[in-house]
Amino acid sequence: MTTYFVRRLLLMIPTFLGVTMIAFAITRVVPGGPLEREIMQLRLGGVTSGESGSGSSSVFDPTADMSSEALEQLRKNFDLDKPGYVAYFLWLKKIAVLDLGESYLKREPVWNLIVHRLPISLTFGLSGFLLAYLISIPLGILKALRHGTAFDFISSTLVFIGYSIPGWALGALLLVFLASGRFYDVFPLGNIKSSSYDDIPSLAKSIDDVDNVSDEFGTFEWERLSFVSKVIDRVYHMFLPVVCYMMSMFAALTILTKNSLIDNLGQDYVRTAFAKGISPARVILLHTLRNSLIPLATGLGHAISVVMAGSYLIEWVFNIDGIGYLGFTSIQQRDYTVVLGVLVVNTILTLLGNILSDFLYAMIDPRIRFE
Amino acid sequence: MASIHHSADNAPPRPLLQVRDLEVAFRVEHGLARAVDGVSFDLAAGEVLGIVGESGSGKSVTALSILRLIPDPPGKISKGQILLDDLDLLSLTYDQMRQIRGNEIAMIFQEPMTALNPVFSIGMQVREAVLTHAKISKAEATDRAVGMLEKVGIPSARRRLHDYPHQFSGGMRQRVMIAMALVCHPRILIADEPTTALDVTTQSQILDLMLELKHHESDASIILITHDLGVVAETCDRAVVMYGGKIQEVGTVQQIFADAKHPYTEGLLASLPAMAGPRDEQLYTIPGNVPSIMDMPSGCRFCTRCEHVTDRCRQEEPALHEIGDGQFVRCHLLEPGSKPDSG
Repeated sequence: MTTYFVRRLLLMIPTFLGVTMIAFAITRVVPGGPLEREIMQLRLGGVTSGESGSGSSSVFDPTADMSSEALEQLRKNFDLDKPGYVAYFLWLKKIAVLDLGESYLKREPVWNLIVHRLPISLTFGLSGFLLAYLISIPLGILKALRHGTAFDFISSTLVFIGYSIPGWALGALLLVFLASGRFYDVFPLGNIKSSSYDDIPSLAKSIDDVDNVSDEFGTFEWERLSFVSKVIDRVYHMFLPVVCYMMSMFAALTILTKNSLIDNLGQDYVRTAFAKGISPARVILLHTLRNSLIPLATGLGHAISVVMAGSYLIEWVFNIDGIGYLGFTSIQQRDYTVVLGVLVVNTILTLLGNILSDFLYAMIDPRIRFE
Repeated sequence: MASIHHSADNAPPRPLLQVRDLEVAFRVEHGLARAVDGVSFDLAAGEVLGIVGESGSGKSVTALSILRLIPDPPGKISKGQILLDDLDLLSLTYDQMRQIRGNEIAMIFQEPMTALNPVFSIGMQVREAVLTHAKISKAEATDRAVGMLEKVGIPSARRRLHDYPHQFSGGMRQRVMIAMALVCHPRILIADEPTTALDVTTQSQILDLMLELKHHESDASIILITHDLGVVAETCDRAVVMYGGKIQEVGTVQQIFADAKHPYTEGLLASLPAMAGPRDEQLYTIPGNVPSIMDMPSGCRFCTRCEHVTDRCRQEEPALHEIGDGQFVRCHLLEPGSKPDSG
């Protein structure tokens, strides 16, 4: 078993190389990269200082009146003077010592950018993930036991409607209906905590004395909120995004639990358990459920990658400053060191997730022994 | 354990289990299918009773009904009584019935490969049977489980408690099933085709084990469901022959094998390969197929395949009647006063 997991860990390396190689290649070919941007900036700078007032974005060759030395220097900065494989190798060498480089735009080490945002993303991703499991497994059990009833039918319909709406689209809908004030104004429009007194949910307000959190000028101090109010405020802000995270996994998990349980309830060992005189609750929740969880465990690793990938758009919709948002905006801005840095982190998390689901698989099913 | 004292006096001991007019129906697409139709038989204390029949004869459904394990829906026990002593099992509440299952009446099944839960150790599964019915500590329950596993012939049982079903062979798994069934010392053991899925040498080992445990250990009465007449001859005291959801013949093993009366029983016996006799002889088969449960003939259930069929057989259902000394037959031709008229 240990050898199996060591081998799996080693197999991460070629996968990782493949993923990053493709992404790296794309950053070199797609136009509008950092070099062009830099040239444009120099160019515009030159224009504004030279011919003041007439700066425009008319079409022209950006490199036209640049000295070839300056151009060469810039290319060098981005390793564009070297062949692709050399540049990739240089990049990889830095990754090996966890040096993800520096953001072109934010002028900050990518590593710091990610480390600051990872906890935010994981909080949302994991809450959605755990809640999805906590709700859909019992729901799946209930549906299996009530198979064919109105409850089963209605919940299936709702689950599939939810499933057919992507998380980010649902997010936008929820914001319009529940947060914009156009229909209702129950939830905040974004962020992860209140930044002003007006944002605080009324429940938290009622717990904390108003004067406690806002000084005489009415400015708001988050630190002075009591713990309970902070929790309420967090939940209030996290509610809608977490719903969106859940939606993506919810349907598959619920239906998988239901079908797997129904399958298992027809098995011979269930009849044996009943013949022993065991209570139905124990037969279902212990004997049958453990067998039904086997396919769910396999989906776990995949679900982690869904959480990471889904977060790009959901974080963007809800204005959550996590790594999904970071990744999305840096793609828009062609901030390639950040794009690749986020990709590195996501790839490693996904690959580890896959190994984790193998491990859980072996934990739940004794017949699985990896050799 | 307080239940073995039955046959003290000379009067015929009252049966331990009496099945009376049992009827089990399954809801199918076009109505009800009566898988078991008016079945009655007795099981005496200490007796080994065989229930024989082809697939679809209703023998397994009869067995499952005794423990009320018929999946409902689609199945339902629609009529009858199942008396354990004076207790009608069909009138018990669900929780009362749970006290009977595994405790008073235990059951083992055909497929040892799938009848044990694959994700729990055999120790846990045997111990669970104990703990369901006895208020004892886990350690005591484990000891009992180990004791029982040793008795059924699992080598180094204590060490193997933590092993999972897939780590045992088919025969060993059936031994575990037997241990699990007998660990609470039930009064009745129902074995539904216990050896069908096993190879021939293992089959006889398992049958020997069941009889040996019965003689030296549990003294539980056994109901053995099988399609294999050889198994019945080897192990049973009496046998019930079923066809089309009805009992066709009942008798002691001697009566059935030496002096079978019902044409169906005769046919079954004739289709057994004989040890002696010419090897190139074609094996006898009963012509035709078992009619579908939805499409049973009116009159005698066996009339579509019987060699002695008469017009009366096709119209009027014969009753089960005694033809002497505990042997019962359901056949017009054997009714007192009826001569085998030309067919």
